[in-house]
Amino acid sequence: MSRRIFVGVFEDEADVIAAADASRAQGFAIVDAFTPYAVHGLDRAMGLKPSWLPWACFGLGAAGLAFATWFQFWTTAVAWPINVGGRPWNSLPAFVPVMFELMVLCAGVGVVVTFVIARRLGPWRAPEIPDLRATHDRFVLVLDGGASDPRAVRRVFADCRAVAIEERDVEDRR
Amino acid sequence: MGTPAGAGDRMDPVMPKHDEKHYWKSLEERDGAIDPAALPEFLAVPSGADWRTTRRGFLVAAGFGLAGTALSSCSRAPVERAIPFLLQPEAVTPGRASFYASTCAGCSAGCGLIVKSRDGRPIKLEGNPDHPVSRGGLCAVGQASILGLYDSQRLDAPTREGRRTSWDEADRAILSSLAEIRQQRRPVRFLTSTITSPTTRATIDAFLASFADARHVTYDSLSASAVLDAHERTHGARLLPRYRFDRAEVIVGVDADFLGTWISPVEYTAGYRSGRTLGDALARMSFHAQIESRMSLTGAKADLRVVLAPAQYGLLMAHLADRVARLAGANSPFELLAAPPVAPALVDTLAERLWHAREKSLVVCGSNEVGLQVLCNAINHTLGAYGGTIDLDRPSFQQQGSDRQIEELLGDLSKGSVAALLVAGVNPVYELPGGEALAQHLKKVPLVISFSSHLDETSSLARFVCPDRHYLESWADAEPVAGALCVTQPVIGPIGGTRQLIESLAAWSGAPKPAYELLRESWMTRVYPRRLADQPFEAFWDRAVHDGFVEVAANAPAGRTFAAAAASVPAAAPAAAGTLALVLYPKVAMLDGRGALNPWLHELPDPITKTTWDNYACLSPAAASALHVAEGDIVRIEVGGGSGPSSAIELPACLQPGQHDGVVAVALGYGRMGTERFAKVGPRWLEARPTVGDDGRVGKNAAPLASLSDGALRYSGAPVRVVKTGRRRDLAVTQSHHYIAVPAHLAPAGGARRPIVQETTLPAYVKDPAAGSHGHHEAKEDLWPSDHSYPGRRWKMVIDLTACTGCSACVIACQVENNVPVVGRDEVRRHREMHWMRIDRYYADRADGGVDVIQQPMLCQHCENASCETVCPVLATVHSEEGLNQQVYNRCVGTRYCANNCPYKVRRFNWFDYPREDRLQHLVLNPDVVVRSRGVMEKCSMCVQRIQDAKVEAKRQGLPLSDGAVQTACQQSCPAKAITFGDANDPESRVARLLKDPRHFRVLEELNVKPSVGYLTLIRNRAEGEGGGATGHE
Amino acid sequence: MSEHAVSLRAPLITGDKSIAQVTDDVCAPMEGRPTALWWGAFIVAFAVMLLGVAAVSYQIATGIGTWGVNRTVGWAFDITNFVFWIGIGHAGTLISAILFLLRQRWRTSVNRAAEAMTIFAVICAAIFPLIHMGRPWFAYWVLPLPNTRGSLWVNFRSPLLWDVFAIGTYFTISVVFWYVGLLPDLATVRDRIKEGARRRIFAFFSLGWNGSYRTWHHYEAVYLLLAALGTALVVSVHSIVSMDFATSLVPGWHTTIFPPYFVAGAIFSGMAMVLTLMIIARKTMRLENYITIRHVEIMAKLVLTTGSIVGLAYATEFFIAAYSNNPYEQFVFINRAFGPFAWAYWIMVSCNVIAPQLFWFKRVRTNLAAVFVLSLFVNVGMWFERFVLIVTSLHRDYLPSSWADYAPTSVELATLAGSFGLFFTCFLLFCRFLPVIAISEVKAVVAHDRRTFGGGR
Repeated sequence: MSRRIFVGVFEDEADVIAAADASRAQGFAIVDAFTPYAVHGLDRAMGLKPSWLPWACFGLGAAGLAFATWFQFWTTAVAWPINVGGRPWNSLPAFVPVMFELMVLCAGVGVVVTFVIARRLGPWRAPEIPDLRATHDRFVLVLDGGASDPRAVRRVFADCRAVAIEERDVEDRR
Repeated sequence: MGTPAGAGDRMDPVMPKHDEKHYWKSLEERDGAIDPAALPEFLAVPSGADWRTTRRGFLVAAGFGLAGTALSSCSRAPVERAIPFLLQPEAVTPGRASFYASTCAGCSAGCGLIVKSRDGRPIKLEGNPDHPVSRGGLCAVGQASILGLYDSQRLDAPTREGRRTSWDEADRAILSSLAEIRQQRRPVRFLTSTITSPTTRATIDAFLASFADARHVTYDSLSASAVLDAHERTHGARLLPRYRFDRAEVIVGVDADFLGTWISPVEYTAGYRSGRTLGDALARMSFHAQIESRMSLTGAKADLRVVLAPAQYGLLMAHLADRVARLAGANSPFELLAAPPVAPALVDTLAERLWHAREKSLVVCGSNEVGLQVLCNAINHTLGAYGGTIDLDRPSFQQQGSDRQIEELLGDLSKGSVAALLVAGVNPVYELPGGEALAQHLKKVPLVISFSSHLDETSSLARFVCPDRHYLESWADAEPVAGALCVTQPVIGPIGGTRQLIESLAAWSGAPKPAYELLRESWMTRVYPRRLADQPFEAFWDRAVHDGFVEVAANAPAGRTFAAAAASVPAAAPAAAGTLALVLYPKVAMLDGRGALNPWLHELPDPITKTTWDNYACLSPAAASALHVAEGDIVRIEVGGGSGPSSAIELPACLQPGQHDGVVAVALGYGRMGTERFAKVGPRWLEARPTVGDDGRVGKNAAPLASLSDGALRYSGAPVRVVKTGRRRDLAVTQSHHYIAVPAHLAPAGGARRPIVQETTLPAYVKDPAAGSHGHHEAKEDLWPSDHSYPGRRWKMVIDLTACTGCSACVIACQVENNVPVVGRDEVRRHREMHWMRIDRYYADRADGGVDVIQQPMLCQHCENASCETVCPVLATVHSEEGLNQQVYNRCVGTRYCANNCPYKVRRFNWFDYPREDRLQHLVLNPDVVVRSRGVMEKCSMCVQRIQDAKVEAKRQGLPLSDGAVQTACQQSCPAKAITFGDANDPESRVARLLKDPRHFRVLEELNVKPSVGYLTLIRNRAEGEGGGATGHE
Repeated sequence: MSEHAVSLRAPLITGDKSIAQVTDDVCAPMEGRPTALWWGAFIVAFAVMLLGVAAVSYQIATGIGTWGVNRTVGWAFDITNFVFWIGIGHAGTLISAILFLLRQRWRTSVNRAAEAMTIFAVICAAIFPLIHMGRPWFAYWVLPLPNTRGSLWVNFRSPLLWDVFAIGTYFTISVVFWYVGLLPDLATVRDRIKEGARRRIFAFFSLGWNGSYRTWHHYEAVYLLLAALGTALVVSVHSIVSMDFATSLVPGWHTTIFPPYFVAGAIFSGMAMVLTLMIIARKTMRLENYITIRHVEIMAKLVLTTGSIVGLAYATEFFIAAYSNNPYEQFVFINRAFGPFAWAYWIMVSCNVIAPQLFWFKRVRTNLAAVFVLSLFVNVGMWFERFVLIVTSLHRDYLPSSWADYAPTSVELATLAGSFGLFFTCFLLFCRFLPVIAISEVKAVVAHDRRTFGGGR
């Protein structure tokens, strides 16, 4: 099914932040904003919760660390214990560097992969951009037009010095 | 068939112990670890579920099979060249070595051999421990002589005028010309080196007997002729006494390198060493003083070393004779003497020490001046050495050459009066001064027959060359010492169509016979009658062949008692200003050049200079700086007296501490024809430099600088001018820093001398057996729990530095045993020599201005906490449960981290592929040791293949592995028995006892790597504080 | 971020750029035709790289013997180059990660190029451990794979193996970090192009980025995490590399201060290399307004600081050796300064410790030519630091009998040159085909500056 959205295009980050604040004050549902760079303060304005990715990162790192610890112990002390320079079968201190590196590797690569999947990014994906200049020098705010009154929305956008305001019907993915 | 001590019957090829055939599927089964009966006859067929295949699986398999077949059918089928033993030779079990006793012909010393033969090819020579002369040792030259067998450049057929011919044709031609000479009654001369073989001597005599004017001329290119001549004067018989160093308590050597190159070094080293045994009940320590002008191996070992110009030996010995005579109460043989060339007190000390130990003291002189030798005999006579330390009743035949004879012969040849000259075992054109002249004269001789196995300077001029066989292909005998008859038996069929000398002679005497028969007959007639125990000839002969020797009655010309021949002081010609005295000397490896075709010997570092692949002009540092010559500068050595340019050579200089400032020393035996072959040695690459010199040969021949006049071949004393040419040639040295102390300007306070070697003096040792120790570091506690106990065997090695002379026999033994490649001059120059066993030679300056020399064999120390093992990323070097540090060649990727982290720097890396220069040499490879490829690390394995072999053998016999059953290659060959190897967990083993010896120490013990190789403190027989004790780093 | 702190200073980006201009300026070099200067540089770099390829092929075909190394000095140019390049590789992540965590906004102009430099340097570095092996075709044996005979894996006790993991991780994370930073800019470039192959390529790699703020929101978190991990890596990687030496038995290597000493040295050399490249880049790409004197000056200060730390480390080493009273240790250091390789030692000291002291003077720090020359000095000096460390320690260790000298062969020299060829070839291609400056981040800075200092609009 298709649904209606409001697209407001702004020239300055301050404006888009203001627009977002106003929209939330008016109780409009903010679909998303599109900006050429990470505008600071917009998250507060849009009322986004802090990202959960750090937890994913921590988990992955812990997993990597655990694996490295077990694997090194298993290969040197269990699977085929070999006397290397009279060192003990389980030379834990010597395993620390690899433990650390594998932890970092899993955490780092893992969190990026999670991010890409979570945000439905990926090669061959056609970008869904309300305004091509959103990656250049324009700031775009998209509101859900379902409930809200179009005139009210236009007024809010206009107050915030929007350079363009339009209503669109888009295919709903969600 | 001789066997090393305690090796049991395993070497017995003739009668295998168990008659019934025993087929085995695996080594374990062969060694009885598995009972074949206990095993199921067929492999269990996996049944049921395992066999079920899905259609999909089947298709996959079928597809793969198809593709596989297609692919494999694309490749060319390998060519099969596996030829089974169609006729299984008796005594050859594939994969098991057989051992035969024989006699070494590396030189005329006649040491006993045990030849290790695998699948019908001899691959290793070892000393025969029961042998009466060599007593188990074998020198570097002997060890290396096996390579001569696999030399593709040996003549494999007779040649006539340089063209290949058949034996029949050659015989016909030779017989006709001999017949002609015979009826014309023209002179025939047979020129050989010393021949210790009674059979060969008899055959030659028989051959010559048929000629009216025939003579057998013998000379040795390293002549000891003066010793024999002197005894002819003093004892009325021209013979070489047998020196018994084992009986000597005081030894004074004058210019005699008896531990290195003089007459019979292995025999002498064994004796010398048995006179210096410390630690156990029969503790003896002889005193050894050496008087010499250059630094010889023997001088390096001496307790007291006196540096003297060659011209002054006579005066010193005269003074010695004088003092000894006085002490003996006799009146001095001399009226008035010039002042001694050394401090009179020194002469007194020597004389008193000699006299005090009379009948147990010995003076040997290596000079070839009859006068000096007569003096020497006089001193020995006064000391009562004859009958004690000098044996005249069982004299030595190891040197019989007569310089007078060869001088006469050269005269005859120059006159052109000789009709036929037969040359065997010598290369006069190369070895004798005035070789060019001789070459001209040889052209005038109608019939020259050479028996040389190679085309050398002489044989290339001969009309006929009838190549003799390598001794490992021959039946022969030897009597190096009166009464000790040694047998040489062939251990391989002749490679190439050669013929033994005695066979040729027999053929030409009209009674052609195989050597075996000739030998047996001669033994029947000459040796058997001299038997000691009564037994049938067959038993006598078998015993002899089995043991490699037999003791019989000596029938030697007994020397009469001492006739006080006019002992005169040889005139010492004062050295002309601006000249140096030339000293020509034989190198341990090269001797007179008989080793010149052997790459192993060329690459063996000289025990003193540590230089390979060249000869050079040794100058004392003082002399060098006076000439403004640095190491490697090429100098021109011109013999004074305006003899032509022929007697001038150009050599790189080598700075030799401890050498007399007025002397330049040059090694003989280099620049031989045939060394051109070594142009092929060493890797080819962008910046590679050739192994041979500009003239295409290795080194320069110094023989032309010697002189042969009034009955003596003189090597030393000639005044020469040494001129700097301005050109350079870097020497290929394996050790570039020669002192145990670090360079003074870089030395940290107190840390100048490194505590690597423990040494002390005899008195200090007697007071405290642990004297000289750097404070024993008890094995420190490790940071980590020790998970590794060695419950089974624990292999350890102890090397006695007091016994070790540095002769380097072990280096070659290791090279042969472990297939160590030759890398060539340029690689050695780049510090890439491959020897697993090296001998570190350190100089230490003495307070009195002299230098002490320390010889320290260095090999993988098999550390318990090996620093090399922890750093290898791929586990290519790990520890065995018997304490060995193992190198896994096929796992090694060659990061060289292990070598960097080895404090002893004993690891060797294959920088290139190092192919054998002669394909035929592949036959000498030890099949039990992997040949390493490029890019892998290698090092001493403590002859792990020998350990395994001994274990298997013990298991096969169901006996425990006895102490000494495992001998490493280096240990086996050591003439001084300095190396002990064994199981430290066996409290009875010799090594376990030595580990408790207070002299025992480990190198770099403070690093706590816990080496398995230990050393015994070097003890010098000197007054306390006279050097030796100081270790620096207090 | 601390706004007032910044507001006291002059704007980072000069020329009063608007957000749109930023995109245009940065994309200009990619969209125009390459300059003659670029072509010249590229041809030279590529030729030198080919020389290196030839040298390495010859060495692999013939043997390590084609190098000057020997039984005593088992490592020389190979590991020297390895450590040198790894060191260079540190500045990138340092600038991107650490400075990001420290909220150093000036980094935005240089971090992209610095990260690229890191990646290329690590590539150069990684080559040497491979080719220094006697049997490089078995190099994969250092990876944790079981061998054919059963579970024989690798020796986790070996510092070389730690290296394998450290370098591998560092390289991977650097690439990921760099790529994540690149994502929005790839989208920007994509959206400037109407159609064609270039658009499809950029579309592919920009993963359908659309500037959605919800994505930006998570993106910020990811970037922060990567920065944190990267920071830890920068410290760990060179610490581990230093353990190749520190955990050994060789006097002169067995030095406990190595990890911090190496890290400082790495940042030092890295910064110098960044300066070298940036000064070239701003000239050749006309980026004067983005890489300003102020950037150069800040980096010069960093070089001065780290250089002084390195100098302190040199002194400490000597002191520890002298104080330890271990004759072998003492000798190695005396031998370093006055032995056969004294010349190398003094080159190192004068380039690394003495030369940077000129950065105390503002006139030097703000003089591009001077900074450029000094940065070259530091590069040379830091190469010699590793050479001195490796060769002088090895060539005269415990037993005087096995002391040996060392001299490089033509093959080694060609290989070293080749690694520089490779590095610059990669860097020039990067300048040509990717935005050398982090567009989106600079936009943030520009916007910030405009708010802080007002300006057109």
